[in-house]
Formats: sequence, structure tokens, C-alpha cells
Amino acid sequence: MDFGLSEQQRDVRELAASILGEQVTAEKLARYDHYQQPRFDRELWAQLAEAGLLGVAVDEQYGGMGFGFFEAALLVEEAGRTIAPLPVISHMVSAMLPLSKFGSPGLKQAWLPQAVRGEVLLSAALTEPGNENPLSPTRCKASIDGENLLLNGEKHGVPFAQQSDRILLAADCEGENVVVLLDPRASGVSLHAIQVTHYEPQYRVVLDAVLIPPTDIVARGADAIELLRYSSELTTVATCAHQLGAADKAMRMTASYTAERKQFGVPIATFQAVGHRAANCFIDVECLRLNCYQAISLLDAGKGASLEVAIAKIWAGDVGHRVSYAAQHLHGGAGIDRDYPLWRYCTWLRHNELFLGGSARHLAALGEKIAAGEGFCA
Amino acid sequence: MKLEFNPRQDALRRELREYFAALMTPELAAECDESMGEGGGPLWREALRKMGRDGWIGVGWAKELGGRGMSPIEQFIFVEEIMRAGYPFPFLTTESVGPQLAEHGNPWQKQEIVPKILTGECLIAIGYSEPGAGTDLASLKTTAVRDGDDWVINGQKMWTSLAHFSDYVWLACRTDPEAAKPHKGISMFLVPTSDPGWSCTPVVTLGGVRTNATFYDNIRVPDTARVGEVNAGWKLITSQLNRERLSLVNFGPTAELFNQTVRWAQNTLSAEGARVIDQPWVQINLAKVRAGVEALKLLCYKQAWAMTEGQLQMADASAAKVYGSEFFIEVYRLLGEVIGQASLVHRHSEGAEPTASRLERLYRTASIITFGGGTNEIQRDIISAAGLWMPRASR
Repeated sequence: MDFGLSEQQRDVRELAASILGEQVTAEKLARYDHYQQPRFDRELWAQLAEAGLLGVAVDEQYGGMGFGFFEAALLVEEAGRTIAPLPVISHMVSAMLPLSKFGSPGLKQAWLPQAVRGEVLLSAALTEPGNENPLSPTRCKASIDGENLLLNGEKHGVPFAQQSDRILLAADCEGENVVVLLDPRASGVSLHAIQVTHYEPQYRVVLDAVLIPPTDIVARGADAIELLRYSSELTTVATCAHQLGAADKAMRMTASYTAERKQFGVPIATFQAVGHRAANCFIDVECLRLNCYQAISLLDAGKGASLEVAIAKIWAGDVGHRVSYAAQHLHGGAGIDRDYPLWRYCTWLRHNELFLGGSARHLAALGEKIAAGEGFCA
Repeated sequence: MKLEFNPRQDALRRELREYFAALMTPELAAECDESMGEGGGPLWREALRKMGRDGWIGVGWAKELGGRGMSPIEQFIFVEEIMRAGYPFPFLTTESVGPQLAEHGNPWQKQEIVPKILTGECLIAIGYSEPGAGTDLASLKTTAVRDGDDWVINGQKMWTSLAHFSDYVWLACRTDPEAAKPHKGISMFLVPTSDPGWSCTPVVTLGGVRTNATFYDNIRVPDTARVGEVNAGWKLITSQLNRERLSLVNFGPTAELFNQTVRWAQNTLSAEGARVIDQPWVQINLAKVRAGVEALKLLCYKQAWAMTEGQLQMADASAAKVYGSEFFIEVYRLLGEVIGQASLVHRHSEGAEPTASRLERLYRTASIITFGGGTNEIQRDIISAAGLWMPRASR
């Protein structure tokens, strides 16, 4: 049992923290407010690629660092701490990791080295209109057309679809699952921008008889089911890691603000009512941190972790909500002032709370597991 | 980072679970039940000595102190398993005062008292609170006055739990009434309860647990009864409390209670004929408990690990104490709702169901640790100051 980070993990975290901490500023983030332009800092993205961080969890034979999901999640946590305008989860976790594990040698060679270098952008379409369960695509159908597949249907809330070169996407193919790499510029694909609360570029992807050649089919049948479970769990936990970074930062901003803000001649942090609400955030964030790291380390080791993933997401939802409102409240007017940097954290905390299922949905899933005898404490 | 036990620790856990299953005979369980979960009976004492003889009490202690030389993680596994088995383990003696004596004690304390703790033959109660000194502990008035080579102790303590069957009281006394700050005039003593000047009267609490008011009337002790330097007791008190807090929120009993309630809900039919556990609201309550227990487990293990690494953080210890103590109350409520009115039935009542009546008692008992062991308001003050670097609350 070891709650500390390895030297390699500390190195990755420090590298990510130093680049993102230096480069992501409130001034730069303001450029993307109110949907002025897609929230994607390509210059910073190139810097992360230059530092090798985009390939932190990719095999060395494809140009990566050859580390694991843990190191990738630490980078995601730092991206959350700075709410960096970067597609770290969709590119590195939702798309590259499943491709690394399930893709054919040809597909991997075609996409991974470029993705590591930041020359192409990948994404994944995990949710559909009215269907937020990535494990069972129902709104997207694939039909067999000789060697090819023809896709029809719709995906919803696809991050960075417009900016991506390929999108990992699942469809129901006559009763079995199939996962393909979609070219968002292929004939029959139309992209519709959605303006979401946290300004991440998201799109509704409509597919009208889109032809997928056999070389772009990543997995079918049982493999596809396994791929979807893998990408869903990794993305869920990466979202928890992002939430952890964002919540931790919002809490620490609140601690600093209340230590300086004076009323009645003293820092408001010296009022117990203020200190105690911040202390509640500290406890909450610690609970999220430990559950998040537990799920990360189990997935990193290739172990079954569906119970721990659900629990981590429940904490991510609850803690994100509570810390967001505590931080806003304790900041008073500054918490909602668009010239003060806190509010952006609050919209991201909200997104991460709901993305891939809020607390209620995961509690219900956990409850079903418990009823089935799969939730006993060891 | 790896938040699981290694195979050796898993094996130790299995061994201990079997050991305690054999140790907790129905007779011992009944005796413990009658002493309201605090122990002190003859079978309880014999079981403690047996654990001592078998080398378990000091499993994580250094070999030169009489332990087995494993780490605080193994020690934590031992305590978790014993509490899970329902044995009221005197953790205040073994897990909080004992380590202070081992670290700061004089040769008599190290050579006479510590080995007896590890063999289950010495029990120590904690004497901090007084009628006028609770959360503001440093205002305590019990005095120890130097007289030749001895000290003479006078005063009264409150909530001296377990004192009625303990051998010593770990007693905080004022030794410098003139100290510039009150907490700089306090020293620690080991006071024998066998002294004719010592007495106690019971205080019965809502949960049925007995605690005590204890009285110190001209008790004369030699200087060897003093622990640590004169007027340097405050540091011993706070580090004892840090360790106590970890023991207070041990997750073993809660994990066991959750498992029992799940089994009950799986095996019990509701009036409509379906299993209790198949109802969505039951599953939600159980899921809330399960998600919370997981956090408690990780908070506890992180601290056991931090102790192994020698880096127990004050804010983390306080966070675990606040979280655990408030979560327990929530657990008893959520699980009580699942079981329903049966969880209002006293264990002595005809037809009482064991898990349900355990909840009846736990719900009455649970409020103790939100204020005991350092009230949660003070813990939150510690968290905001030591964990978030916020300026300290004014008093």
C-alpha cells in the first residue's frame, strides 16, 4: 500500500503543472468566453506535444513515453486545476487509449504517432441525444454494405468534433456493437455547434449514409463491447481527475480570498462560519481525491474497477456541486464577477458533475450492484 | 501509488479474521454486549491477555519494545479486524497513550508500563476534561505541586471513560499556574487508580455507555510518574489526540454493519412479497452508505500509511475524524430507514433482530464522537488553518 506518487509520476505532474500553470492565464481564458472562438489553445497544445506529454500513456513504438493511465490522469488533473482550454480528455483518454488497446497495427501506426506529436486531433463520441450510456449506442445505426459500413443517426455533445481529424464512434450494427474511426469531414457528416455552459467546443454529429471503409473499423461484437466499457470507464475517471483539479483550485482560491478580504476590520477567514465551510470543502476534496486515485490506480493496473469508478463519479458529482457553491458564496460578489477568475471553475465543475452521468444515476447503478451481491465491503 | 494491501497484508487480514472469529465466543460476545461495548469484564480481560500472549497487540510495534516489528499498516489491520469482530478494544491505551509512553516515557514507563500494555495487562484512561474545561482544555485546573521528590495531585476530571477498570489515568495537570499562556503550564502524569486518594463516580450516557467523573485528593506520586518534561505536556496531549482520532473512526465496524444490513435486505421479504433489497429507495440508501464507506476506508488507510512514512498531517487526521464521526450518524440513519421500525427495538426485547437492535443502540451512541476526542468545531478550525493556510479563527 502506497499513497505516494512514484518519481516518474511526480515528474509528469510537475512538468504538466509548470507548463499549464505558466501558460493558462485568466486573460487568455477570457478570449474564449461567450463562445467568441472555439476554446482550444493550439499554441499551448503544441507545447504539451513538444514536451512529450500528449503521448504520456502511449507505447514508445508509437512515439509515446510508454507510461500508463495514472500518468495521463495526473496531466488531466493539472488541466482541471488550470481549466486549460485543451482537449486532453477527449484526445488522450477517450480516443488514444482505446485505440492503443484495441486498434489494428495499421490503424495505430496511421494515427498514434501523429496524435502524440499533436499533428492530428482525435476525439470520441460517447453520448447520444437522450442516451448518455456509452455502453449501448441506440441512436446510431450501422448497416453492412459489402465490405463497408453505412452509418446513420446522431451523436450528441461530441467534444472538439469540428477540430478533430478522426472521431471514435460506436453504432448498433444489426444487434451487435461496432466501433469505427469517423472522418468528420466525410460525405454525409454534418456538425452542429452546441453552446454549452463551460464553453468547451461541443457538437451534434449527424450521420446520413456515411461510408466507413473496413480499415476504419476498430472493433466489432465482443471486442466493441469491451472497448466501450474501457473507454467509458477511463473517460469517467479522467473526468473525476479533472474535477479533482478544478475543485481543489476553487477551494484554494477561496481560502486565499477569504484570508485577504477584510470585514469588521478582520479577515473574513477568521470567522468560524467561513472557516468551517472551507474545511468542509477540504474534507470533500480529500474524499474525491482518494476515491479518484483508487479508481485510477486500479484501471492503470488493468483490474476490474466498475464499483470504484461509480463511487469516484458519485463523489466527483457531489463534491463538484458543493465546492462550487461554497466557493461562490464565500467569495461573495467576487464569485460571480466575470472579471474575477472563479466563475469559470464553477461552470466546469458543473459540466464534470453531469458528464457521463450525475450522482443519482451512478448511485442507482451502485445500488443495483449491491442488490446483486457485488458491493460487499472486503 | 497503490491503494490496496499487498498479499502479505491480505494474508494477515484473513488470519486475524479467523483468529477473532474463534476468540469471540458467544459467552464473550454476550459479556461485551452487557458492558455496552466498552469491555472490562472477566472474559474480556482474559481475551485481551490472550491477544497479548499471542503477540497481536503490538503487531506493528518495534521489536525492541516487545512488538512484532511490522508497520502501522499491519497495526491498523489488527485494530480494524478486532473492532469488526465486535470486541471493545482498549485502543486509547494501546493506540494512543502507549505510543506516547514508548516515545517520550522515562525508563520506568518504557520498561514497566509499555510491556504490560502489549501483553494486555495494563489499561490507561484519559484524564483531560474537567467540569470547567472541555473544548478549552488548556484552562484545566487540576494541579500537580512539587513536594520534595514527589508531586501532589488535586482536582477533578470529567468523562474519564474506562477509568473504573483502568490501572492508571493519563492525567493532564497544571504545574505552572503563572505560565504566560495556559497551555505552557501543563504536565502529564500517570496516576494509579489504586491510590486511596483516587475515586470515581459513574456517569451514564444516552447510549447506555458508562463514563466517569474522577476525583484526585492529595494523591502523592513519585517524579517517575511524570511523562515528558515539566510544563511540556501540551504537545503530548495533541499528539495523543491525533492518534486517538484515527482510532475513533476505524472503518471495520461500519463495513461489517453495512454487509449485515445488505444480507438482511437480501434475505427479508417486504409485505408485497419482493425482497427488501429490490426496492429502488433501499438500493439508493445502501449505495449512499457504500460510497461513503469507501471514502472512510481510504481516509483511514492513508493515515495508517502516513504514520508508516512518519508524515501524519494534522489537517488529514482532523478531516478523517470529522468525516468519520458525522458519516457514522448518517450511516445509522440510512441503514435504520432500510430496516424500518425494527431498528427501534432494544436488544433485550422479545424477538429483537441482532442487526436491527445493533442499529437501535448505535444511533443512540453515535453523537459521542462528533464532540469527543476534540469537538468537530475545533477540528474544522485545525483543517482551515493547517490544511488551507487560512488565518486562525479568533476566540
